Amino acid sequence: MSADHTRDPCPIVILNDFGGAFAMGAIGGTVWHGIKGFRNSPYGERFIGASAAVRARAPVVGGNFGVWGGLFSTFDCTVKAVRKREDAWNAVIAGFFTGGALAIRGGWRHTRNSAITCACLLGVFEGVGMMMQRVMAQPAVAPVYPDEQPLAA
Amino acid sequence: MSMSWLFGSSSSASSTTPASTSSTNDNNNNDSLKQSLGFDPAQVTDVSNILKTPGLFDSARLHPLAGLDKGIEYLDLEDEQLNNVEGSQGIIPSRSWSDDLCYGTGAVYLLGLGFGGLYGAQEGFKNIPKGAPAKLQLNTILNHITKRGPFLGNSSGVIAMTYNIIDSTLDAIRGKHDDFNSLGAGALAGALFRSSAGIKPMFISSVLATGAAGIWCGAKRYLQY
Repeated sequence: MSADHTRDPCPIVILNDFGGAFAMGAIGGTVWHGIKGFRNSPYGERFIGASAAVRARAPVVGGNFGVWGGLFSTFDCTVKAVRKREDAWNAVIAGFFTGGALAIRGGWRHTRNSAITCACLLGVFEGVGMMMQRVMAQPAVAPVYPDEQPLAA
Repeated sequence: MSMSWLFGSSSSASSTTPASTSSTNDNNNNDSLKQSLGFDPAQVTDVSNILKTPGLFDSARLHPLAGLDKGIEYLDLEDEQLNNVEGSQGIIPSRSWSDDLCYGTGAVYLLGLGFGGLYGAQEGFKNIPKGAPAKLQLNTILNHITKRGPFLGNSSGVIAMTYNIIDSTLDAIRGKHDDFNSLGAGALAGALFRSSAGIKPMFISSVLATGAAGIWCGAKRYLQY
């Protein structure tokens, strides 16, 4: 009933999330490393330095964002398919697996810690989202009227 | 699909009325109620009677956008409309330039990642040190994959992103989409990608990206029809 029609159905939305996260990371990385490269370059080479920093690092930031977003979306779809329900726990579980999968080459302890951190982070996101929703859904408070004066008898 | 889920199903709703508790007691109850009340409670219009009216919640008579007769469709858009720039309807239904951007970038990035990863994998298989333990062999392959895959993916993703942004901008300026937009966007994106390397690499990259855009235009036509 309250399906979110601004997002596409599950298998194909992974592609969308991949691209969206990549674009977000690449554009954000351009701004970030542009400013950083500009500030870290000597006078006279500031624009060259900014351009070099952007060229070297913005795609990497984009790639990191994209891989994270795509993996998260993939796990989110998988969890939805397995649990057959949509709630905040989907994101937490998907975050757990995403964090774990991204850190899996760093050894068992690193994988575990990263998975738990990521799940907690997503839990916080979901919690804040719910709180925002509740705040937004507050009913309008009735206007305060001044105390009625007793009618003159 | 009726709306009975909202109000409770019609059978359970009717069971709350005194008129139809069970079949045997029904008539006795009715008669005694008629006696005491002075009218037949079964004839009174109440909520459950209204809900039982045939055709009241006929999905065909509801607003066509509700689409209750067909369930939820692939893209059941409530507020968002499909991209209405002329000629912009692609393979995947897209709502706006941001959908084009996301899908285009994501697809090209994944392709680059995949091909780069495959290339790195075969490179890694070739470079496995002789007589190394299994863990070292696996690490060799993974290192080669992560050396090649993300690099190709990032580069192609950036080109695809630039291409899609320029393409959508051209669409918006010209008010329609056709192959010239794609080719022009490819040329500009390719030129921009290698713009810091000099005129000649810029030209080569521009030609390659235009060619890729042309291939994509042809492929789109082939896939669509």
